Amino acid sequence: MSSPGSQSRGLWGPSPKLREKRLSELNAGATPDGQVTHLETVAFGPSLTVERFRFGNGLELLFCEDHSAPVIAYHTWFRVGSRHEREGKTGLAHLFEHLMFNEVEGRKAGEFDRKLEEAGAESNASTWLDFTQYNVSIPKDQLPLVVKLESERMSRLVLRDPQVKSEKEVVANERRERVDDDLEGAVSELLWATAFENHAYRWPTIGWMKDIEGFTTDDCQEFYKTYYAPNNAVLVIVGDVAEAALLKRLSEAYGALPASTLPLEDVHPEPPQVAERRVEVSKPTATEKLVVGYHSPAMGDFDHPALSLLAEVLFSGRASRLHQKLVRELELATEVRAFVGPFRDPGLFELFISAREGRTAEQILEVIDAEFDKVRSEAIPQEEIARAAARLELGLLAGLETVDGKASTLGFYEIVLGRPGAAFERLDTTRRVTASDLIRVARRYLLPRFRSVILVRPDLSASSDDDGEAEAAQ
Amino acid sequence: MSAAATVVRLDDAGGARVLLETSRALPLVTISVGSKTGSLVDPLGKDGSTRLLSRLMRRTAGGLDPQAIDTRIDSLGAALSADVSHSTMAFQATVISRSLNEFVDLLVDVLSRPSLASAELERLQRETLAELKDSLDDDRSLARRFFRRRFFGAHPYGRSVSGTSKTVPEITSADVQSVFQRSFVRGNLVFAFSGDLDAARAAQIAKRISDALPSGGVLADNTPEPEAVAGRRLVIVDKPERTQTKILVGCLGSHTRDEDHVALLVANTIFGGTFTARMTKEIRSKHGWSYGAYSSMPIDRRRQSFIMSTAPKADDAGPCLKLELDMLHELREKGVTKAELSWAKRYMVRSHCFAIDTAAKRVGLELDQTLYDLPADYYSRYTEHVQAVTLEQANLALQKRLSEDNLLITIVGTESSIGSSVREAVSNLASTEVVAFDSVD
Repeated sequence: MSSPGSQSRGLWGPSPKLREKRLSELNAGATPDGQVTHLETVAFGPSLTVERFRFGNGLELLFCEDHSAPVIAYHTWFRVGSRHEREGKTGLAHLFEHLMFNEVEGRKAGEFDRKLEEAGAESNASTWLDFTQYNVSIPKDQLPLVVKLESERMSRLVLRDPQVKSEKEVVANERRERVDDDLEGAVSELLWATAFENHAYRWPTIGWMKDIEGFTTDDCQEFYKTYYAPNNAVLVIVGDVAEAALLKRLSEAYGALPASTLPLEDVHPEPPQVAERRVEVSKPTATEKLVVGYHSPAMGDFDHPALSLLAEVLFSGRASRLHQKLVRELELATEVRAFVGPFRDPGLFELFISAREGRTAEQILEVIDAEFDKVRSEAIPQEEIARAAARLELGLLAGLETVDGKASTLGFYEIVLGRPGAAFERLDTTRRVTASDLIRVARRYLLPRFRSVILVRPDLSASSDDDGEAEAAQ
Repeated sequence: MSAAATVVRLDDAGGARVLLETSRALPLVTISVGSKTGSLVDPLGKDGSTRLLSRLMRRTAGGLDPQAIDTRIDSLGAALSADVSHSTMAFQATVISRSLNEFVDLLVDVLSRPSLASAELERLQRETLAELKDSLDDDRSLARRFFRRRFFGAHPYGRSVSGTSKTVPEITSADVQSVFQRSFVRGNLVFAFSGDLDAARAAQIAKRISDALPSGGVLADNTPEPEAVAGRRLVIVDKPERTQTKILVGCLGSHTRDEDHVALLVANTIFGGTFTARMTKEIRSKHGWSYGAYSSMPIDRRRQSFIMSTAPKADDAGPCLKLELDMLHELREKGVTKAELSWAKRYMVRSHCFAIDTAAKRVGLELDQTLYDLPADYYSRYTEHVQAVTLEQANLALQKRLSEDNLLITIVGTESSIGSSVREAVSNLASTEVVAFDSVD
């Protein structure tokens, strides 16, 4: 595998000399904002490469030519997520993601989706802490349509009161579904709000309900003007299209969009946590739940791959230590899960454990503490490390089968780490993690004073005791 | 590009039915071994037997300890799971190609030499019961479970694939042994391979597994056709503290061998099959009542249901349900328009490329076609069938297949806050039933 930034050629694409000649011809006829510069060739796994281009207006393009199927993944990633919001306006980035599917100047409301579906496209979007991304997968012959529609909505979105009002209702319903009426969603939200006191990661991406209800059309217009500019976006395109034809089309469509002045981000680093925080809640559930969050490093931190590998060893798969202990050996839990936050700033190493009937969250926490004591003091055998690394390798490869999977991986690593091919770099790093690295990260992060604990107690008091009652027909 | 154009059926695998598409795009191999029997063969009163068997096979392969098996699978960079439906069971494996040989050794043991140890069965039963408890937290899953139980009633499709808290403890070692002996015979299995292996290797693996199994043919599926629910029936699944509801409205749907099956698929696409279909437009975009608003037509060897699905907040449950029923009425009365039909056909034909854009998906469709006894050209000529649908066929299919009179409406929500509004929303109710959410058995 080539190292990032190397100049090896992939399976397809022009030679560097031919590319230079074509770019020179393209730029001769383009507006200053539409002129294209080739910045680098980046290795993406053993056989693919990604070309990085920048347009005059600051728009970046990551392009991976892939003729394995007659389809194209067209992703637009904006460097704005819920971390860019402020108190009282939480959830705006996510609400805005919904509004981007609505109305564009010169087109009817809803026409964006209708046209894309008629073209056979699959489209969706997502918002998270660090980014908002829009993804469209299209049959290869529909590229002109998606370039036109995506470039239009980057600069000519129409925001009116009726659409904002209706979309707020939809988002409020989404919140009810994913958070208010969903045990895991509600408890995860509580965990982050407990663990963070200063950083913007303390509020949920979907926003607090009162903030969703309070948004105005002006809020949305200001957000659009501030963050939806070509110099705050990255296009990630993977699929069955030739480079020269793609660049010409993008230059024409996006070359008319001006760059904007992006605001300085108002970041408030989280101060170190010095004592455990513990919250107890009652929910209409049959068994106790234990949710724990240890403060964890940012994804770009040297320790992140090692801590992620340790999470695999402890919690992932049926052979993992805590699954064996809690589910199989002691039969205290139904399932155990863990997740190390992959974010630009430090996040959480989150644990979710569902207790079996009659077992308590405290019993489970005691077992976890004992296992954590062990990994802080004893070397994890090399076979266990290699096994966890093999699981991570399989997960990465399985995610790259489709053009959409490739584009998602490239876009995510570009936005969070600034290196689109970093998925494979991380895999190499993971293979080099040693038992000493795992002891180090266990001692640095997995300490009770750095954690927040949510204990969920079952409360079914409002439930009917009857198995069912039949009423007479009306 | 069609699935049939690239998937090959191998005929040199010692009689085993083998599908293959080689792809060197990634160093991965995907293997599916499908059985043409699913949970319908569970002994009466012992729902969940087949699913328990599939999990037990994975845990007791070759008489090994479950932890040793899981450790081996992870070490090889592999994943192995089993999916059980009413009509089929399929082991799905993905493995990094460098570990293929060692993984196949293990897979042969899973499929042909599981010990099915009784101690492990008892442990698995305890795990399953705990998982069934946990599933009460998921409202969408609750809605689906209650819907299926009430919709199909005593028909075998009304039985639970996972089993229930009453049936799982009743399952014995003899029950799982019996299901294993009936299901895992040579003639009942179909092998599907894709990825980084060639035809000779695929045939060799299939033959090795097949040779390790006893001879035997496909078990006949004697499941009768299900009957429609009688009248309009409302089931309120009462769960405390719900701010929202999960509504499923359904009637009998389609059979893949109906002459109007594809016509109904096209009509469903117009009604609730996409993000700009009528249901999303009216319920989500116009009223903001539900984050998702869809209709679907699942398929199996016998006729399944046509289901409308929404999730409005408690205050909107009554009006949303009424609108859904009005929309169903209008759909049957007035049908779809010529413009809608043309649009839907373009969408279905053009988007089909995403159903077949990887070797694993193409092989997967062929496997489904074989396991579910779908018409031979169901997927291979899918786009031609869609193109051929006329406006008259689509509208006749809606009138003939869908019913407004024989409907099951299942709502998960807090009865005290939604009960009266949802009852008012449904005219001509034949029955109303209120059940506690934790009485799902």
